[in-house]
Amino acid sequence: MTFTWWCSALDEPWSWAWQAYPGVWVVVALLAGGYVWAARRAPDREPLTMRHLGPFGLGMLALWAVLDWPVGPLGAGYLASVHTAQYLVLALVVPGLLLAGTPPWMLRRVLGSGRRLRVVRVCTRPILAFAFFNVVMAGTHIPAVVDALKVSQLGSFAIDLCWFLAGFAFWLPVMAPLPELDPPRLPGRIVFALANVFLPTVPASFLTFAEYPIYAVYELAPRVTALSAVEDQQIAGLTMKIGGGIIIFTTASALFFRWYRAHSAEESTALQVPSTSS
Amino acid sequence: MDGAVSRARALAIVLVALWACGPGTPRPGDLRGVALAAPWAKPDFVLTDTDGAAFDFRAATAGTVTMLFFGFTECPDICPVQLANLAAALDKQPGEVARAVRVVFVTTDPERDTPERVRSWLNGFSRDFVGLVGPIDSVNAIQQRIGLAPAVRIPLEDDDYTIGHAAQIVAYTADERAHVVYPSGVRQDDWAHDLPLLVRGQWGARP
Repeated sequence: MTFTWWCSALDEPWSWAWQAYPGVWVVVALLAGGYVWAARRAPDREPLTMRHLGPFGLGMLALWAVLDWPVGPLGAGYLASVHTAQYLVLALVVPGLLLAGTPPWMLRRVLGSGRRLRVVRVCTRPILAFAFFNVVMAGTHIPAVVDALKVSQLGSFAIDLCWFLAGFAFWLPVMAPLPELDPPRLPGRIVFALANVFLPTVPASFLTFAEYPIYAVYELAPRVTALSAVEDQQIAGLTMKIGGGIIIFTTASALFFRWYRAHSAEESTALQVPSTSS
Repeated sequence: MDGAVSRARALAIVLVALWACGPGTPRPGDLRGVALAAPWAKPDFVLTDTDGAAFDFRAATAGTVTMLFFGFTECPDICPVQLANLAAALDKQPGEVARAVRVVFVTTDPERDTPERVRSWLNGFSRDFVGLVGPIDSVNAIQQRIGLAPAVRIPLEDDDYTIGHAAQIVAYTADERAHVVYPSGVRQDDWAHDLPLLVRGQWGARP
């Protein structure tokens, strides 16, 4: 049995025999362990509830599922469609769930109050966060980059890490978990979320409409399913476009309704003020 | 006077060089396959096709672009990827190019690859691909005559075995010679680039 620490493209036929990826377990264990360690030091008046534990647990489960066998190696070296599904989950699902599961006091402890906080505050300014998220998204879908990095464990790990970090760059301005990070107001957060829909359309379109496979790593891999390399690539493009669109539009809609409710409440308060004073 | 002669000589050399590189001059380096140092002659052999009829390779493929590939249907990686990529590229070629290319597959595992099995497997790529079977000694002799390594049976666990074999697809052009081979790793885009050039005999042509 081949023993590897991270999933990468292998020059061998796909096998349904289980493979161990200890690097994935270490990452998942460190994140989960850190959370439990921090939770045990929760302030008495702010114990963790299912409101936090649920999303965090789901986020960890999703992280583990997309990195470990079989999804991890399938996406790393066999199917472009699984590769883009991994991208969606790692960048647009997991960071959001982990942030939703992290109470503000815990996040403050993680970020501290010094240089780390200042760096995160700068990096999550909408313009920089937009640039970072989209540069990572576009860069990690360039054929030369994918073909060069996916064949090594370190390269494959680098792509996964970039997606994960870019996901935080997207979700921190959207979710605005801490006021000290100077997040934009709700309308700004809606615009920021929607702005991130457009650039992923470019690689998604290339994947969907290319006449020939664009990634050598998936084209030359032994086939896992009856799908041809081009069909697999088309599914990848549609997954990226439709899946990403659904997540971002749902998020923007949720923010819009929150802003609408807040706006309506403000208006009704404003209307009540004269009647109580007269 | 001497200067004029030298200039005339230089001009002649340039003209000859331009002519040598001109349209229609075969230069395998223009293709994306691996150019052969010296062309390989098309082999003359007869094997049995998947309908059970004798297939005279040289006669049946005369004057066409013919892709000859040796492999086996249980091959887990190279054979299906090579044939799938060639089939996909052919499928997207204009009719006159696609119709001008013949693909001939010779099994290196006659023990397991019956004609029916070869046909069924090839149909997964294209019904137009020709499948040939014959005794392994004959198949290996053909490969060695061409310049390819003979197939080797490699024992596996539980009395199973696999076959080590040459991974190149040999491309014979209308001049009955192969100037280029396509090793494992050739992509659909490479085939799409080379097939029209091979068919139209324009490989090596300057734009």
